[in-house]
Amino acid sequence: MDLFLQLLLNGFVNGSHYALLGVGFGLIFGTTNIVHFAYGPVYAAGAYSAWTAAALLGFPLFLAGLTGVAAATVLGVASYLLLYRPFVRRDAPTFVVLIASLGLFILLENLIAILFGTDKKVVDGYSAGIHFIGPTFYTDIHIYQIASLMILGLALAAFLRLTNYGKAIQAMTDNADMARVIGIDTNKVSILVFAIGSAISAVPAVLILLRDGALPNMGFIAVFVAFLAVVVGGVGSILGAVLGGFLLGMVENVGMWQIPTEWQSTIAFIVLFFVLLVRPQGLFKGT
Amino acid sequence: MRRFLGLTFCAISFAAMAVGPARAAEGETFKIGALLGMTGASSYYGTVMSRGAQIAIDEINADGGIDGTKLELLIEDHKGGNAQAGVAGMNRLINIHDIKAVLTSFSPPTLAVAPIATEKKIFMINGGGFSAKMIGASPYLFHNRSLATDFTRGILLRAKEHGFEKMAMISVKTDAGENVREIAHQFWPELGGAIVADESVAYGAANMDTQIAKLRTSGADFIFAAIFRPDAGTFLKRSKEFGITVPRLGIEYTPDDQKLAGEAAAGFEFTTDYFHPTDDNPWAQAFYGKYKELFNEEPDYYAANYYEGVYVIAELVRRAFEAGIDNPDGAQLTELLWKEPTFKSVYGGDMVFQENGVAQKRVGLFEVQADSEKKFLKFIETTVPGK
Repeated sequence: MDLFLQLLLNGFVNGSHYALLGVGFGLIFGTTNIVHFAYGPVYAAGAYSAWTAAALLGFPLFLAGLTGVAAATVLGVASYLLLYRPFVRRDAPTFVVLIASLGLFILLENLIAILFGTDKKVVDGYSAGIHFIGPTFYTDIHIYQIASLMILGLALAAFLRLTNYGKAIQAMTDNADMARVIGIDTNKVSILVFAIGSAISAVPAVLILLRDGALPNMGFIAVFVAFLAVVVGGVGSILGAVLGGFLLGMVENVGMWQIPTEWQSTIAFIVLFFVLLVRPQGLFKGT
Repeated sequence: MRRFLGLTFCAISFAAMAVGPARAAEGETFKIGALLGMTGASSYYGTVMSRGAQIAIDEINADGGIDGTKLELLIEDHKGGNAQAGVAGMNRLINIHDIKAVLTSFSPPTLAVAPIATEKKIFMINGGGFSAKMIGASPYLFHNRSLATDFTRGILLRAKEHGFEKMAMISVKTDAGENVREIAHQFWPELGGAIVADESVAYGAANMDTQIAKLRTSGADFIFAAIFRPDAGTFLKRSKEFGITVPRLGIEYTPDDQKLAGEAAAGFEFTTDYFHPTDDNPWAQAFYGKYKELFNEEPDYYAANYYEGVYVIAELVRRAFEAGIDNPDGAQLTELLWKEPTFKSVYGGDMVFQENGVAQKRVGLFEVQADSEKKFLKFIETTVPGK
């Protein structure tokens, strides 16, 4: 039972991390229909910028985190303005934009490796507090991971429901052509979702920097789980991305209770195949 | 059209002559190829290996080369152990540069290019990959890194020395990790021990907490970590956070792992190639000093192995020139190696290539101290496979 409780907690924590990644990626994907694989290195750039601010410039951790968020936001918006928008304006087929995104992924990942080196970047002097509830353990980072999902998730939900820009995003997510017809500036909305989605990605990135350190390839896993969370949850549904992320986190952890862990990376695909077979539009699309 | 074809044929013929085999003894260059992981998740290894190799090349060239023949290093990227990329790189080295000697790394690409090396007579020396599956893959393949078998047997012998019986292990799902896992499953029961948990983790996994939670409740006397950078550091940090108190033993602890794990690595024992610039080893000191001056980092054993690998090839080329062979191929270099399989080692003393192609070196046993620095405990002699 001790193990089960620990795996349950691990699942919840990892699920929060995956969910937040899914929210950022899903917001961009659902609104613009761009499969933004470069979301991975943008996430990594957030972590590296935070590391630069904390380790090289001596910023306090919170300020360093904000630097990471700002850098990811700028990079995300720049990737839209400089790469995707020219394709979108030419009505390029989706797969062309997808290839461009993969190219940007490789370019940015290698650029990070060239600029920062390939060794692991760690914020010296930071040590997360460790806590126990009975036999179950958690750290400060775990709390931040759960809290960041709750705060950012609620803030995003409020923004989407209560502001004109939020409603424009929802309209574009439902039907981009119709949104354009009724006068919504879809270009502006696209810039906005790239900004918000990229900013959101930097938050889990900074937490992973504090927990495990940063590596140039850290974005691959991030965009991979974000993509899975969005597809499982349903493209265009922010709630779906959250629940998809939690489902993945739980399956990866609690699912290993009685199963050998060598199945861990496979089980996410099993879930994906099962969901696509049963509900191709995603589990929570339209809810 | 006929004239065009004729001109094209002439141009191709001329180009082929231009890139044809360099006559090494005519004061040109002897090209050494390198199949390294320069990009992707494992680019750290390619970076340090290429640095070590290039320092050796520069040193040899600064001393006038090999009887006036300069060395040149040509690197191909296997993208972090991708076999297909390794084969493509090997073909480029052979077909474009007429390479006869290659520094190889990682088990999958090395195994993939081994048949090519056999067919084209390419001498290969591996200083990074350590899967025992590479033994005998090509008659021209040699290893100046101790292989997984040696490290695993060494650390499990150490576990036995501690009096442990119940082992829980965690291994990374790569060729090297799987290989270590197989060896441990075979060797630990032979030593009278039992395996009470056997967890796997994907390379570079974002989540290792599940595995560590299961290790924690396994009731083992010790945990054997068959995982490598950067996951070794993550394992050490997370296992400490999870409140694991039983000893942790492993086979890798790089500066990156040290940076991440910090004090959480204290008490970790591991076997590895031992590179340390001791006072009685001026060659190692010179290499260490040069590496640190150039890159502001300490060279690890990967850098040292590839530095040493270049010197092995250079010595064989020197022997070939002495024997009157101007442009030796892999078969001739191999023959010259077997005539005298003893070489000077940057690790100190000599290394001797055994019949299975593995250079016999002692395996160092280390313990990580409270300040996260590793401390050398002793050398462990291990039985080498094939003997």
